[in-house]
Amino acid sequence: MSIEVMTLLFFGSLLFFLLLGLPLAFVLGGVSVVFLYFTWGFDSFYMVVSQIWGTMESFTLVAIPLFVFMAMILERTGVARDLYRMMYLWFGGLRGGLAIGTLGICAVFAAMVGISGAAVVAMGAIALPSMLSRGYDKQMALGVINTGGGWGVLIPPSILMILYALITGVSVGKMFAAGVMPGIMLMVLTTLYIVVRCALQPDLAPALPKDDRASWPEKFRALRSVLLPISVVGMVLGSIMGGLTTPTEAAAMGVLGALISAAVYGEFKWSVLNEAAIRTLKLTGLTMWILFSAHAFSSAYQSMGAQALIESIMAMIPGGAWGTIIAMMVIIFFLGMVLDPVGIMMITLPVFIPIITALGFDPIWFGILFVINMEIGYKTPPFGFNLFYLKGVVPPSVTMNDIYKSIIPFVLVEIVGIILIMIFPEIATWLPELLF
Amino acid sequence: MSVVSAFMKGVTRLNEYVGRCIALIVFPMFVFLILEVALRYFFNSPSVWTNELTQLLFGVYAVMSGGYIMAHRGHVNVDLLHSTLKLRAQGFVDIFTSILFFIFMLALVWFSFDMASESFESRETSFSAWNPPIWPAKGAIFVASVLMLLQGIVRLLEDIAIAFNLSYYDPAERKSHSEEGEA
Repeated sequence: MSIEVMTLLFFGSLLFFLLLGLPLAFVLGGVSVVFLYFTWGFDSFYMVVSQIWGTMESFTLVAIPLFVFMAMILERTGVARDLYRMMYLWFGGLRGGLAIGTLGICAVFAAMVGISGAAVVAMGAIALPSMLSRGYDKQMALGVINTGGGWGVLIPPSILMILYALITGVSVGKMFAAGVMPGIMLMVLTTLYIVVRCALQPDLAPALPKDDRASWPEKFRALRSVLLPISVVGMVLGSIMGGLTTPTEAAAMGVLGALISAAVYGEFKWSVLNEAAIRTLKLTGLTMWILFSAHAFSSAYQSMGAQALIESIMAMIPGGAWGTIIAMMVIIFFLGMVLDPVGIMMITLPVFIPIITALGFDPIWFGILFVINMEIGYKTPPFGFNLFYLKGVVPPSVTMNDIYKSIIPFVLVEIVGIILIMIFPEIATWLPELLF
Repeated sequence: MSVVSAFMKGVTRLNEYVGRCIALIVFPMFVFLILEVALRYFFNSPSVWTNELTQLLFGVYAVMSGGYIMAHRGHVNVDLLHSTLKLRAQGFVDIFTSILFFIFMLALVWFSFDMASESFESRETSFSAWNPPIWPAKGAIFVASVLMLLQGIVRLLEDIAIAFNLSYYDPAERKSHSEEGEA
């Protein structure tokens, strides 16, 4: 059988079984076993198991359960509630102030945790009812929470960046550093969007009435709530960027910080910790099982020679180097709608990265574009995790349709962000070059 | 039919129990990593064993999670088309797609047994400075595959019951499929 037909069958059967609803981990594993049988015979299945063992032996991956555990604990403490109160007192008087403040909290949360769901759940439960009762437009409030929650994977620490670094061989510290400026840029862009939109349509996000606004002493007292989160951020990012610890050990420092926060808020209880541990196992485990089988999958398609074929197809895309980059972004964007980020990484990166480096692009820069694209994937239907998380915590008056519609302007803002980073790569590459 | 439902309940309960125990491994992983940082900076005596032990614990943790997640239907899938089907049609589709699942699992069970027994017979160690035995961690792949295979059989029995309206399983027991999921 020719390689073209094989490749078509290979990816065709992947899509076929995925659409029929078999979990991604089993589709990847099953398809690779079947194709290995036809290319190398029965004994090649040993490779599938040895790939699993190889994945178990990666020290960087140990950071995943710890970062997840940290997020699960922080989500249950009162950190988010206090931050929201602070922000409410300071920004409530501005038009669109609660929306902008929610974005700020999401950014702080993103700097503490490495996943995107934690801030969505916390803000969906705290900020959404508050904004709705103050007469904020439903879609404005929902969109803000969805977009801010997604920053968890862009602003370091980030589990997606750890995985990206592992697959492509770039340094985790550099990836983390590269995410800082783009994260700030997206925050500024989104804030600008809210300010402009609210100036044009003031009834979307009314300012609080005069009597509801806080006095200055109240405002300053509320500032105390940022102390704890800032020190957690300092513990994690300080230890990585300062070169004190490996990212994995920094994740353990983060857990320590989260445990201290839990103690401060009186949530240091066995029931809270045990529940956090179980949720951590679920989230880590399903990521790891996708990784296990995706490793088998990518080595199966490499052993078939499919990689060369895809590379030659990519080379036929018009527009030269930039045409290729844009084509990759479009492919990733559409995959992001239906697949989960870990799967997308494992399927596309082994093919894309050699092309990227051959074209003379910086893999760190590409990584940031990739991560922002994944972040959009988290909030685009039909398969966006954040949408389901948000649906799980909103009042019944908010329908899935409201949530779907709310994201459109915010996705456009992020696409503008991606384009800016393409035009000015320094936004991503400046900080890592300065630090390392 | 009571034997069948007893088997189904038993396997699910076993995976539930294993998962709850495995989940606790996150605590020692955290403690060992913090201990290493403390030893390095406060006592100036980095250890040879903490990182490697954490590593081995993580491997067991990651691979053994599979059965528990299956019991909770937590492995992520694309339910774009699937969710539009009627329950019985879903059952038929799931029976069909489970072929691919069983091919994968049987390959895993078979070859992870090979790997684990080779490793055990030679009392394989990691050849690092600490040099611990690594066959228990390799054995965990085999145990995890068997647990997942068993849970997969339970799932197939559920799907058959749904597709053919059999009485040993009540589809109302099936929990909502979307629980946790995201990296």
